[in-house]
Amino acid sequence: MSQLFFEDVTIGDEITPLVVTCDETQLFLFSAATYNAHRIHYDKTWARDEGYTDVLVQGPLQAGLLSRAVTDWIGPRGRLVSFSTQNRAVAHPGEELTFTGTVTATNELSGRIDLDLVGRRGDTVLMPGTAAVRLPKRSAG
Amino acid sequence: MGSLIPEEALATIGTVVSRATGEVRRRDWQRWAVSVGETNPIFFDAVAARAAGFREDCAPALYLQYAILGVTRLEDLRADGSSGAASGNLQFPDAPKRMAGGESWEFHDHAYHGDEITSERTVRSIVQKQGRSGPFVLVTWRATYVNQHGAMLAFADTSMIARP
Repeated sequence: MSQLFFEDVTIGDEITPLVVTCDETQLFLFSAATYNAHRIHYDKTWARDEGYTDVLVQGPLQAGLLSRAVTDWIGPRGRLVSFSTQNRAVAHPGEELTFTGTVTATNELSGRIDLDLVGRRGDTVLMPGTAAVRLPKRSAG
Repeated sequence: MGSLIPEEALATIGTVVSRATGEVRRRDWQRWAVSVGETNPIFFDAVAARAAGFREDCAPALYLQYAILGVTRLEDLRADGSSGAASGNLQFPDAPKRMAGGESWEFHDHAYHGDEITSERTVRSIVQKQGRSGPFVLVTWRATYVNQHGAMLAFADTSMIARP
């Protein structure tokens, strides 16, 4: 995992996109890790009775993937300062999802970078969001 | 259509609906991390984490909300399998289909193995809205996460959507 520095970043830059296709095993493990027995994530009959075509990828898993895209991009010495997401549309296992973001502001004094984020399936926005991160400066060593 | 929000739920607005304390465990956050596909060494490797300025390997920021979860008995789960324990067991009998709405976090410090985290969750608002597919209830909470030294690690505004 490489380290990003404040000086490397310009407004309008896109973060390295994270492309993930979740399967039922990953959904199950995430439910287990979060102590979540909500049937809509593992019971296809229940999900269909609620009007969905299949079980749902957990909103917090999508949020976790979006935060992973950010923290993978900033590297180990970067810090996540704030992180917001909204669940706009559902996702199902087997669908290719892309988690990415764009730099909207930089603050040289604090080393802070603001980002607009998005989780999407094709052109469908599943999860818009924002984040702020703090990056180390090359000049500081 | 009438209100989907029972009086008992409205009465919780502005009140602390849950308090919970839990210990941060390396194995547990690493289980969370691998389920998200994380490979970031700051969550797995104390040496790499120290080199990156952390005290040692630390919990992922978004994991904090799970460190405080307690134990829910099978008979206390809702019919859909979900547990309302962390959110104060708000009941919406006329809107039983629940989905996470969104979350908004501010992070101030990190959580390490053995830390004891206390979280308090306050109901900020409960409103009924009209969506494309009909009415729904939007509930918003604020949760604070404080460690055993009294340091505020994070707070989060989260929301939940309940539909008939």
